[in-house]
Amino acid sequence: MVARAVRTARVGFWVGWQVQSNWTDPFLFFVYSVARPLGGTLILVFMFFVVAGGRHGPMLDFFVVGAALWPTVVWAMQGLAWGLLEDREHFKTIAYIYTAPIPFWAYLVGRGLASAVVAMPATLLTLIAGIALLRVPIILPLDHIPYLVAAFGLGVVGLLAIGMTTVGLLFLISGEAWRLPEAMGQALYLLCGAVFPITVLPGWLEPAARLLPVTYWLEAMRRVFLPADAVRSFPGMGDGPLLGTLLLVTAIWAAIAALAYAAGLTRARQKGILDFSTGY
Amino acid sequence: MRLQRAWYAIRGRAYPRTVGAAREPSWIFYDLALPILGVFAFVFVYRALDAPAQFTSYVIMGGATIAFWMNVMWNMAAQFYWEKHQGNLELYMMAPCGLVPILLGMAWGGMLATTVRAAVVVAVGILLFKAPLAVSSWPLFVLIFTLGLIALYGLGMFFSSLFLLWGREAWHMVSLLQEPVYLVSGFYFPVRALGLWVGMAASIIPITLALDGLRQVMFPSFHPGLLPVRWEVLGLAALAVLFVVLALRMLRFMERLARQEGRLSFRW
Repeated sequence: MVARAVRTARVGFWVGWQVQSNWTDPFLFFVYSVARPLGGTLILVFMFFVVAGGRHGPMLDFFVVGAALWPTVVWAMQGLAWGLLEDREHFKTIAYIYTAPIPFWAYLVGRGLASAVVAMPATLLTLIAGIALLRVPIILPLDHIPYLVAAFGLGVVGLLAIGMTTVGLLFLISGEAWRLPEAMGQALYLLCGAVFPITVLPGWLEPAARLLPVTYWLEAMRRVFLPADAVRSFPGMGDGPLLGTLLLVTAIWAAIAALAYAAGLTRARQKGILDFSTGY
Repeated sequence: MRLQRAWYAIRGRAYPRTVGAAREPSWIFYDLALPILGVFAFVFVYRALDAPAQFTSYVIMGGATIAFWMNVMWNMAAQFYWEKHQGNLELYMMAPCGLVPILLGMAWGGMLATTVRAAVVVAVGILLFKAPLAVSSWPLFVLIFTLGLIALYGLGMFFSSLFLLWGREAWHMVSLLQEPVYLVSGFYFPVRALGLWVGMAASIIPITLALDGLRQVMFPSFHPGLLPVRWEVLGLAALAVLFVVLALRMLRFMERLARQEGRLSFRW
């Protein structure tokens, strides 16, 4: 069962990669994959400099690391959802894929991971540009690597769980389904402390931020890359408890995702709308 | 007779963008929710920086402008891509009105519907964040806004011609023209911060001059303008003429090329 899921995810990854990248040559694809994230980062950098009058400061470091990681967040989550939508609405292949003797969820996970990999060059380039051009004090001590690996792995699982929950909803949504993943991405951008500490959020919104694995993941990654005196979303929480909370919230989201996926799929099959193309 | 046919086509294609769209509540929700969520995020960024209140207004205006940019890019420029997939493009080609009235109908409907949505974004922003928004000259404001819209939708028509020939490549290009455009056009900060020459180069995108001009009208003593407002109005008028003329020529050229190469109904 596990071997079959891994094999399916690998094939899903390959399909996802081809869909994402084979429309142009590798150089143009590289430019395409880094231009939007770099544009997003530079918006924040200029917003900072317009207010700060050209001076550097800890908020700039916060922006750069958050903006660097954001493409991975949004593309992993949205990639999974778009995998379903493209196969259902665009390529109209969902019936053939679903009826193949493979776990469909594993195929979608592969599609999501392919999107996350597309985001990696932008993440690396933003971090490098942050160090070289903006003098952001990004460091990676060797003793932080186990923490980085654990936090990164949990973060990716959390993102896939949010993506799979979205898929559960998309099974049942007809018109304008394309825009739901985008709306989820925008909501995450607002809530998860990607570009500002969640302490800035109004009191009634902050609890929502604390329910998302991405919030803890971004905080953990900032603690890996930035010095101890950097701006934090959870100033009172130690590194260990942060990782523990990330694990707990990710596990809860994984359970929610499994339920949402199963419920959405079952209902879509009952209603006969699994491969129901709804137009654009 | 020809004008009458064109008028019917414009009215017919504007209908789903205005009356028809109102029948699909999810469209209205997404059209409002997406820019508003973006506005919230960037307002909180400025709050984290303890920026003056005018920056909140910059963000609200930027958010409203995004509604227009998204409408132009996805519902004008990329519209022929969806139409190809649904099989409508062939029907448009066969209709005895030509593509231009159909695009004008899309533009007209899109302008009306998006103006209402942008107004809601601005209203929500003002109410929730108490952002200072005051117009020093309404005639100038309306002039800049109108010229900006004509130039912007002309640009959308120009881009739409690309989809007669290309599919996925053009779709990805439209997808690319989001954050980089928000950056160089100064959606969330004064474009002057990028430097005069970068701002001048970015002025080829009509939103750059329109947004800067509107901000100068709204915050005359606070906003560092790219150029004097008079020049920006002239620039916008020139862009409006340029893009409309260019769009008409490109449509004819690309349609002929697409027919020659047999790619008009080529979906991918």
